[in-house]
Amino acid sequence: MNDALLSLVTPLVAALIVLTGPAMTPRRASVVVLLGSALSFAAALLALQTVTASGATQTLNLGGWEDGLAIRLRLSPLSALLLAFTALIHLLAGLYARFSRFASGDDFWVLSAFLHTALAALWLSADLFNLYITLELIGLAAVAMVALSGPKAYQAAADYLLLSLAASMIYLLGVVFLYSEYHTLDVMQLASVSADSARTRLALALITAGLMLKGALWPLHLWLPAAHAGAPAAVSALLSAVVVKGPLFILWLVWTEVAPADLAREVGPMVATAGMIALVAGGWAAMRSPYIKVLVAYSTVAQLGYALMALGLLMSWQIPQMHIALWLFVIAHGLAKASLFMAAGEMQGTLGTRRLTGLRGATQTVPIAMFAFAVAGGSLIGLPPSGGFLAKWVLLEPILSQPQNWPWAFGILLGTLVSAAYIFRVVVLAFDRATINPPDTRPHLMGHWLALLPALIVWGMALLGEQLIGLLAGGGV
Amino acid sequence: MTVELLPDLVLCVLLLVVAWSALFASTRRDAMALFVAFGMIVALVWARLGAPDLALAEAAIGAGLTGVLLLRAARKLPVSSARRFDYRRHLGALTFIVVAVSGFAVSIILPSPADITANNIDSPVAAAMSDSGVSHQVTAVLLNFRAWDTFLELLVLLFAITGLRQLFPIEKESLEPARTWQLLVSWTRTLVPLLLLVGGYLLWRGSSGPGGAFQAGALLAAGCVMLRITGMLPPLHWSSFAVRGSVCAGTLLFLCTAVLTHSLGAGWLDYPEAHAGTLILMIETLATLSIAIILTLLVAGERKDLCS
Repeated sequence: MNDALLSLVTPLVAALIVLTGPAMTPRRASVVVLLGSALSFAAALLALQTVTASGATQTLNLGGWEDGLAIRLRLSPLSALLLAFTALIHLLAGLYARFSRFASGDDFWVLSAFLHTALAALWLSADLFNLYITLELIGLAAVAMVALSGPKAYQAAADYLLLSLAASMIYLLGVVFLYSEYHTLDVMQLASVSADSARTRLALALITAGLMLKGALWPLHLWLPAAHAGAPAAVSALLSAVVVKGPLFILWLVWTEVAPADLAREVGPMVATAGMIALVAGGWAAMRSPYIKVLVAYSTVAQLGYALMALGLLMSWQIPQMHIALWLFVIAHGLAKASLFMAAGEMQGTLGTRRLTGLRGATQTVPIAMFAFAVAGGSLIGLPPSGGFLAKWVLLEPILSQPQNWPWAFGILLGTLVSAAYIFRVVVLAFDRATINPPDTRPHLMGHWLALLPALIVWGMALLGEQLIGLLAGGGV
Repeated sequence: MTVELLPDLVLCVLLLVVAWSALFASTRRDAMALFVAFGMIVALVWARLGAPDLALAEAAIGAGLTGVLLLRAARKLPVSSARRFDYRRHLGALTFIVVAVSGFAVSIILPSPADITANNIDSPVAAAMSDSGVSHQVTAVLLNFRAWDTFLELLVLLFAITGLRQLFPIEKESLEPARTWQLLVSWTRTLVPLLLLVGGYLLWRGSSGPGGAFQAGALLAAGCVMLRITGMLPPLHWSSFAVRGSVCAGTLLFLCTAVLTHSLGAGWLDYPEAHAGTLILMIETLATLSIAIILTLLVAGERKDLCS
């Protein structure tokens, strides 16, 4: 637990140093925050090692009060893994923001460190009200980061803020209903007392609606493309890679622990269906988008469909393998999407256009960024041996073993085809060397290589496949 | 029907009437004035329900500071034109009302769980009060049992002010009035010392009765906002260390306490029992300072406060 708390505190300390420190130029701020992320990453790895070595989930009652009175923090292999993942993404996005030519705004550093703190607090929390506050924190930090783009992003930021607040209120209302029924907010206590009653159903419906709105899960995703496409590249990477995963984590927590198993079994197919529709509808919208970053943003909507589908099937079948699939998807998608957004930002800035058609001949003009885009896209499609393939394989295995489950496999196939279609749409344009769109400036190679880095890591995930699966095999908690 | 029910009934009717008129006021300014009145009535309702802490917070933040914020925002907007009847918007609102009201009705009709407020005496909170260092239950929950929540709530304010700073990228002309209204100036001179006194009292009172950092901070912020609007307080430059230091002070002390109790003491935010009361008061004092400054900046912050 010590290491996990260290991983939570370091980004906050970095942010406070940046806020109060004397003569804090953006350059110095970047050094402080990057150091904070690196330390946090190291601490998270240590936490991961201890928790897997001891093989048991650790809990901590804050303030030393007894259960029910205190807020409980919980360090499971999954939360340790998510801590490390969040720190890694922040490190990668921070490195990109530091060395890329395209500025992310002076306050990017303090805001990203804040966001990191809030996410770490979320992964560790096991208390529904405490989770609500972390959701608020994440929402506020994310909105402020969208606004870093300046006045042109204010509309998207304002919409994001209002929807995010509405979603929080809906979630909170659900939590109030649960509290009025069971008199506790602690997830583990709720898990032991929850029963199928009308009030519980109402509460779970409200919580689910609020979280789906926050996490841009289909059909409540409409705010996402504007917000994610309007932000600076490093911010979009953070938003798509980690921010939308926060509500998903709570949704998973609520449906696998708090909700009675029979109710989860009943609702599961609906959630999985929503995921399948998200795959196809999000992919379709991405395929038809005329702008680069909007395409990438819609692809997030589509890819979240896989996670939603894994969650739905987990709820209806209650098999631990779906835990593995769900979280592998989250990690593979996070890394790949960070790379996609950074590459898109680099290409957009160098080629001087936001339109997809401006990518003509990108393989010649911005080869490294385009390579990053294609490599990360390969993981989204699920080409072996990428992280995306690993996740999809784990998801498909139980589906294919039972003939009555094959319709779900068909949905995954359709989703894969659509993802291939929108990725190849970009790649084909980039190979069109007959009518090249000449770049405005000479490409800045450092930024392009840093955009490639997360994509390489996601392909390297296959090397760690066995360990990752073993880590998540315990069901994550 | 007992006589005691009469004031409650009056409050309920008043609440609905004021809410309705605020929503359907003809001009923006009327709507805002009614919104402030609505906040005051909500505060009375909380007080009547036996939640004086909430009543204080609602009166200071919900009615007072939010009202000022709305009025200041309204000055930057163009004069509202005549309302056009937008069919779709009303349909959306109608659906929302139907869903909300039916949800509320369902939750009332459902078999009601045991009353949460009734068995106050043998609740775990009451049982642990003697070890908490304070004698007021709300303060014990906020600053001791669930101190981690309160710490994160302080972070919410910090995030909000950092976010607000992103909204002033370009130099715009200041909207300060050329000449301040004399009556406001003399009122401010009378009110601010009183607000300071009451704020300090609420902070001190928090350990044994209704009050505490958020209420006290909001009152102090109200005073600062008045001073700032009348021009008696110079701009709070973000670049000055004093401002940034006070913005972070509450969070810093809270964080230090958490880290020190974890590394030297019994555990994360596990106050040593003998010093719990003192620690809580210290945290509350610095938190009050941070809350006051942040709320002042959030409500009255201009470009020269936040970005210079």
